[in-house]
Amino acid sequence: MSPADDISPDTGGDDILAAEYVVGVLPADERREVAARIERDPTFARLVDGWEVRLSPLGSAYPEVAVPAAVKAAIDRRLFATPAPSAARASLWSSLAFWRGLAAAAAAIAVAIAVAYFVAPPSDQSAQRYVASLAPQQSDVHYFVVYDARTQDIGLSHVTGARPEGRDFELWVIEEGKDPISVGVIPVGQSVHLAVAQALRDRIAAGAIFAISLEPPGGSPTGQPTGPVVASGDLHNV
Amino acid sequence: MTAQDITKLIVRTSMGDRGAFDLLYRQTSAKLFGVCLRILGDRAEAEEALQEIFVKIWTKADRFAVSDLSPISWLAAIARNHAIDRIRARRQPSVDLDAALDVADPTPGPEAAAMASGESERIHLCLDELDKDRAAAVRGAYLKGESYAELAERHGVPLNTMRTWLRRSLMKLRECLER
Repeated sequence: MSPADDISPDTGGDDILAAEYVVGVLPADERREVAARIERDPTFARLVDGWEVRLSPLGSAYPEVAVPAAVKAAIDRRLFATPAPSAARASLWSSLAFWRGLAAAAAAIAVAIAVAYFVAPPSDQSAQRYVASLAPQQSDVHYFVVYDARTQDIGLSHVTGARPEGRDFELWVIEEGKDPISVGVIPVGQSVHLAVAQALRDRIAAGAIFAISLEPPGGSPTGQPTGPVVASGDLHNV
Repeated sequence: MTAQDITKLIVRTSMGDRGAFDLLYRQTSAKLFGVCLRILGDRAEAEEALQEIFVKIWTKADRFAVSDLSPISWLAAIARNHAIDRIRARRQPSVDLDAALDVADPTPGPEAAAMASGESERIHLCLDELDKDRAAAVRGAYLKGESYAELAERHGVPLNTMRTWLRRSLMKLRECLER
């Protein structure tokens, strides 16, 4: 796909197809094709996301309607009826405070992944996705990271912790026994993205650690972390 | 619940935290049920759809991190797309939605009106720049999940004409929003 594909007014192009999908007017077979394309074509998926963002204010017109209690019970039966994984997860969660320490978070992700695999068999798309919870390190800074190796994109979801005035958060990849490598300064925002350089890509593998340090505006002047690490976490394959 | 609280619940849900999932359900199910009812126009089907939607939310919560949507809009998008897929798969056109639902046409409540600032106002202003019936077609399609076929019938034009119409309207909308 090239940018020119977007513009052609007669066919509408990919961007208008994305808009038609989001508005919801397409017939069933075309919706299925578009949904499949969203899964395999990240560029197109971004177009769809853009339209979801543009049109989402219209959704405020939907009323809230109370749901019968039986619905939640039915959802729980569908998701958690199998005793083994849910029992394991329940005991894990009841025995650990949620965000305490990397080991706990890592184990939790492993369980979450096991459950996700159990509920939805993995597809090719998911094989190159990694997640990390960057848990607070003597701070209240918490980010959730999804790394897509195919698109070399890191999505960061800001959970808690404001950046101090006049400072920036910088994201680092740390391999054991080596100097940290900067991924870049994390843009301000609740859901932000960082591109991953090709050279970095090879060094980010399951097991690598992500860390966030507090740096002067624009990032570390030395190429190495100069401020305290405020959050960190392991990367896991999903 | 602030948007940040809901973000937190989605992230915890993605890591398999059932408590967070339960709370997320308590906080958002009424809104998502409103989406399902409006599109499907049938209580039993909307309840079934809502179950499927929360199963999706549990299994796909990690994808929230790569979306630019606000947390409630991300959840609403899952609900809308699922409900629309369901109604497209069904042969019969639904019963009259407003009659079945007994809810007035979408006039935002005080909460929605309070939220309707910034971006929200812009989309309404941009819709107002379109011809009235075209703006109504975009709004109606978005909120009720109407298909090209249904829109074409209601406006008494051939399907391809309807499609050209709506595409042009969407392109104008995009231009206006990007100004």
